[in-house]
Amino acid sequence: CKDKNTFKLPTVKIAAGAVVCVESEIRGDVTIGPRTVVHPKARIIAEAGPIVIGEGNLIEEQALIINGYPENITPDSEVEPKTMTIGMNNVFEVGCVSQALKIGDNNVIESKADVGRNVILTSGCIIGAFCQVNTCEVIPENTVIYGSGCMRRVQTERPQPQTLQLDFLMKILPNYHHLKKTVKAGHHAS
Amino acid sequence: MASLLQPDRVVYLVRGEKKLRASLSQLYFCRYCSELRSLECVSHEVDSHYCPSCLENMPSAEAKLKKNRCANCFDCPCCMHTLSTRATNIPAPLPDDPTKTAMKKAYYLACGFCRWTSRDVGMADKSVASGGWQEPENPHNQRINKLIEYYQQLAHREKQERDRKKLARRRQCMPLAFSEKYGLGTRLQRQRPGGPISSLAGLSLKEGEDQKEISIEPAQALDEVEPLPEDCYTRTISLPEVTTLRQRLLQPDFQPAGASQLHPRHKHLLMKRSLRCRKCEHNLSKPEFNPTSIKFKIQLVAVSYIPEVRIMSIPNLRYMKESQVLLTLTNPVESITHVTLAACEEGDPDDINGTAKVIVPTKELVLAGKDAAAEYDELAEPQDFQDDPDVVAFRKSNKIGFFIKVIPQKEEDADVVVSFKIRHDFRNLAAPIRPSEEGAETATEGVWLTHHVELRLGPLAS
Repeated sequence: CKDKNTFKLPTVKIAAGAVVCVESEIRGDVTIGPRTVVHPKARIIAEAGPIVIGEGNLIEEQALIINGYPENITPDSEVEPKTMTIGMNNVFEVGCVSQALKIGDNNVIESKADVGRNVILTSGCIIGAFCQVNTCEVIPENTVIYGSGCMRRVQTERPQPQTLQLDFLMKILPNYHHLKKTVKAGHHAS
Repeated sequence: MASLLQPDRVVYLVRGEKKLRASLSQLYFCRYCSELRSLECVSHEVDSHYCPSCLENMPSAEAKLKKNRCANCFDCPCCMHTLSTRATNIPAPLPDDPTKTAMKKAYYLACGFCRWTSRDVGMADKSVASGGWQEPENPHNQRINKLIEYYQQLAHREKQERDRKKLARRRQCMPLAFSEKYGLGTRLQRQRPGGPISSLAGLSLKEGEDQKEISIEPAQALDEVEPLPEDCYTRTISLPEVTTLRQRLLQPDFQPAGASQLHPRHKHLLMKRSLRCRKCEHNLSKPEFNPTSIKFKIQLVAVSYIPEVRIMSIPNLRYMKESQVLLTLTNPVESITHVTLAACEEGDPDDINGTAKVIVPTKELVLAGKDAAAEYDELAEPQDFQDDPDVVAFRKSNKIGFFIKVIPQKEEDADVVVSFKIRHDFRNLAAPIRPSEEGAETATEGVWLTHHVELRLGPLAS
């Protein structure tokens, strides 16, 4: 009996100001900061470690943020769980896949882009639509990756935070979707 | 299987200036010569110019003046996408009261694809949405214009001398502007390789005007060249700052090496072209003038005159074993068409790719006309063609499926290619109806046309 009580089920902690639709799939130990909007059909999966998402992020439909096991390691062997941190004011557009362990602020990952596990996004980076970035590097600030050949350039100003869009969504989404509320600690079904 | 419907599976031979094989969807049919034409044996002419993003039409003279570029639209110098104008609100002092600030709209150009903005190269925000953006001027403009004027004058003089020689040979009194009247559209004026360039001559002064003698200074060769900077070898290269070759060559005036000097250029105009048969000078394809319309005024494409052969199903092909291939034949015209197939004879000069022997049905195939209202007409009786079930597999409005027997002759890995001749009757509705003396002759006579068709059936089954 006592063993059962010490084992804590991984919970999803959703901060007070966040709007997380109930149709989204969130599994594992995930923390979502205030003013973040998670659209329906978005998936945030923390398999191989916890995910911490900051505030003001916009995660659109069919986006997949996954902290998964690296490909050449079987899930049985002992791997130290690494935390995936996502900063503030990031935008994960429709259909993107992000496995990057560290994402800074004000980044935009456009539709159907694929960011690998060993990429570290700093601030103001824009990964263009359908670009697959699976190198092992730190992307410098204000970099834009675009085109079918993943060309790069540096822009002079970082992308603006989507405050207008976030405000609009936080008003409209609750009218059409049920929202997920955080499970308070200590409320285990006994 | 959709792969059997790929356009390169069935090709028709075009007997033009050079023999080409192309799928029927890419060919044109000159109904005055009664022959297939491909893009290589027709002459292409410019019909009209238009901008691809704002769809604005431009007459050819204006296009030439603006160097074939649109006045309103810009191209991103970084990724060549179309630039869009964005507005921001900036606080600006009111003209009446310098102490108060009001929000004014400032416009800048931005690219949606690579996120380039006009602020990246230091272009200030403009207060008007369009018309405020200027291209930087080429420093060599004056010299180039002077050279062009000089050579225009030279070309004009040469042309006059040529006309004088032509007039001296013919003793008739022809107008002086003989070679100027015909533009580059007719065959007489088409550029022969190696001949004098007459395009400049058309732009010069009118006849009879006194021509000023324009003289140019020859270009001066410089002995000293600007030396390279001293830190040329030691300075670290910042790759985002260096322009790619493509970005550089799109601006041949400046060819900037640094990304901070890449200014946007006006968008290139696209053109609509019309095609003309070289033998009879009739138009084969003439698009509409309006850039937003995709229709054609004249559209003599081959698929609307020639029956089309398509592969329907292929069994396993084995070396030296006879197999039956199912083909379909579609009739594009509204009258009944009779089609006869014939295998290529031994030593046929057109049959260079065939790798299999083919046995085609010997009887004549009859195709019903294309009737658009047939599906709605319930009272129509189905036409009864006596079809041999060994030859004709099925019949559906203007399409029939028929069998051919294929015996692959080569055992290599390449695709089995089969060729045969198709002979059908063609009624030329375009020809003028000549009043006949007998009075009872039919207005349109059928002409029998023969085409050489090649089919690529795929590899041998292993």
